[in-house]
Amino acid sequence: MHILLADDDEDDRLFFRDAFEEIKIKTKVETVNDGVELMNYLTQPNIKLPHILFLDLNMPRKGGIDCLLELKRMDQVKNIAVVIYSTSASEEDIEETFVLGANVYLKKPNDFSTLKKTLEAVITTNWQYHTSGLNRDNFILSI
Amino acid sequence: MSGRAIFTTAFLLKGSFIVALFILIFTSSVSYKHTVVIAESTELLVRSYKIQIQLEQLVSYVKDAETGERGYIITRDSDFLQPYNTARDKIKGTLFALQYLTSQNLRQQHNLDSLLLLVNLRLALLKSSLEISSAENLNKRWLEENMTKGRKTMDIIRSQINKMIDLEVSNFNEHQKKYNREISITPIFTLFLFTVTLIFLIFSYLKINQDLEIQKRTNEKLLISIESIKHAEIIGEFGTSQWNLKTNKRYYSDNLYALLGCEPQSFEATVENFLKFVHPDDRHIVTNGVKEVTDNNPFPVEYRIIRKDGEIRFFKSIGKFITDNGNSKLYIGISRDITQQHLTEQALVERNRELEHSVNELESFNRVASHDLQEPLRKIQTFISRISEKELSAMSETSKEYFARIKTSASRMRTLIDDLLLFSRANKIEKVFEKTDFNQILESVRQELSQTIEEKNAVIRSASLPTLNVIPFQIQQLFINLIGNSLKYSNPDVPPEIKIECEIMSAGTSPILEGNASTNYYKISVTDNGLGFEQKYADHIFVLFHRLHNKSEYPGTGIGLAICKKIVENHNGFITAKGIPGIGSTFTIFLPA
Repeated sequence: MHILLADDDEDDRLFFRDAFEEIKIKTKVETVNDGVELMNYLTQPNIKLPHILFLDLNMPRKGGIDCLLELKRMDQVKNIAVVIYSTSASEEDIEETFVLGANVYLKKPNDFSTLKKTLEAVITTNWQYHTSGLNRDNFILSI
Repeated sequence: MSGRAIFTTAFLLKGSFIVALFILIFTSSVSYKHTVVIAESTELLVRSYKIQIQLEQLVSYVKDAETGERGYIITRDSDFLQPYNTARDKIKGTLFALQYLTSQNLRQQHNLDSLLLLVNLRLALLKSSLEISSAENLNKRWLEENMTKGRKTMDIIRSQINKMIDLEVSNFNEHQKKYNREISITPIFTLFLFTVTLIFLIFSYLKINQDLEIQKRTNEKLLISIESIKHAEIIGEFGTSQWNLKTNKRYYSDNLYALLGCEPQSFEATVENFLKFVHPDDRHIVTNGVKEVTDNNPFPVEYRIIRKDGEIRFFKSIGKFITDNGNSKLYIGISRDITQQHLTEQALVERNRELEHSVNELESFNRVASHDLQEPLRKIQTFISRISEKELSAMSETSKEYFARIKTSASRMRTLIDDLLLFSRANKIEKVFEKTDFNQILESVRQELSQTIEEKNAVIRSASLPTLNVIPFQIQQLFINLIGNSLKYSNPDVPPEIKIECEIMSAGTSPILEGNASTNYYKISVTDNGLGFEQKYADHIFVLFHRLHNKSEYPGTGIGLAICKKIVENHNGFITAKGIPGIGSTFTIFLPA
């Protein structure tokens, strides 16, 4: 499974990669450092698109909301499952990203084992099924 | 009322003057007519009298001639003929006089003509008698016949004269009668007119007097009003101006001059003079303002004034057009010195700006707390969890001990940030009020706290609670905090017992509720058998970060009750606390019914 993370924080990228290394499911994890890099990555010619995109909201240059807005307008990438991966869980952010078409809202957990469990839950979700029954209650993922 | 009364008085004055003039003209003409009639009567009387005298004289002349003749016939002395000879001329003169006197009376002239014939006949008879008696051979019979004829003619003359005198007398009487008739009505009529005039004048006098009295009183009232307004102007710091559009005359009140820093009426009230005091940058506001004033729109304007002493003051003016009784259009302007108000407003605006700034800073603080502070903490905690999993076994005992303390501090920091966020959210979140059943709220609170309740073996008893218009999640937070506190600060040896009671009460019965608009309140109290507290701390415990217990004994941030107070205040309610150490505590909330 091909997974992409857009996050400006080096530590978070480290936790993210470490977590997937410890998860038994075979995954290919790639990371970009901000929104601009993300859009560049996604618009490369002949790119193999990721199955799931983890998107931080608070990034320099181009934030997660702007990215979400843009990529939902691009035909070739708009069907990628988007997981919002943010420190904050403010009502406004949750509301806005839900309306813009993100699939899951994931608040960055405070400990590593929770992170592992949560990420495992995300990648084992049947996205086809989840998307069709998406509502505000199951939008926020908590383990 | 005065306008109408004055109008009536003026009308009355005009009316009585016209009536008096009319009566004067009428009586004058009546008197003139009377005088004319009297003069006519006098003339008539004199003429009749003259006619009578002339007629008497005529008879006496004829008699003189007769007597003379007789004397001559008897004595033959020609001296006796003297009267006879002069009689003819005298008779002629008398007849001329009579002709003149009777010239206006046809009947009398006719009579006069007959008399003339008779007198001539008599004179002819006298002449023939004289001739008969003068003849040599006196024919006695002829003489007698002639004399008899003469005597008869004389009788006819007498009767003719009597007839004429009678006619004069009857003419005069008739005239007198007509005159009497005419003159007899006028005194009554004149008297009547005079009486009417008199009544009218007296009535007018009384009415005018009454109106003058009313006017006097009105004037007094007006004087008092003027004085009151003068006083009000000074206290209220405003001045008035009047502008008569018909005469283009203006008037400024004394206090308006005073507000401009001038002596009363020290300059002529004109727009130009007033504008001299208006700040040059604001003059257009004043000139435009006057133009904009209509009957329904007073068009308030605000502008600056530079007083005579150079001080800048802020004025506010409004205007109004009114139409007075005389149909003159008046412009009434009221100008107020609003400097104090203006300065206060400015200070308020300044303060508002500062407040807004503080609020913005607070909001950015929230942002910092919610995101920027959490991020490093989250990483610290994640690293802690990683070390705990992998490296803990390799650590020395001391490191393990220190590491445990780092972990505790980090999680305490986490709690602090979370609570602080809750507190600021109690302020910030949009307040959507919904009808909410408090019993249901309590039920979900029980579920949320079920783990602790079970652990502590706690009992919660509740009376039936009302349904109120509230912000549901805040009320839920309120009960979680209150019941959570009771569970947390429970007596270690006794299972917690929490009692929730509810009653409705009116605002007057409790001193803390006094002076509030809502008359009825729900009083909901949460009582426990926990540690309690000393009553002197009752107010302190609602202050942010204020704690009564050491945090190693009882973990907490000191934010929970501050949140409760905030939530209750959001609902226009009150919260109080009562505690007895070792016995328990009671928290009471009052919410408007």
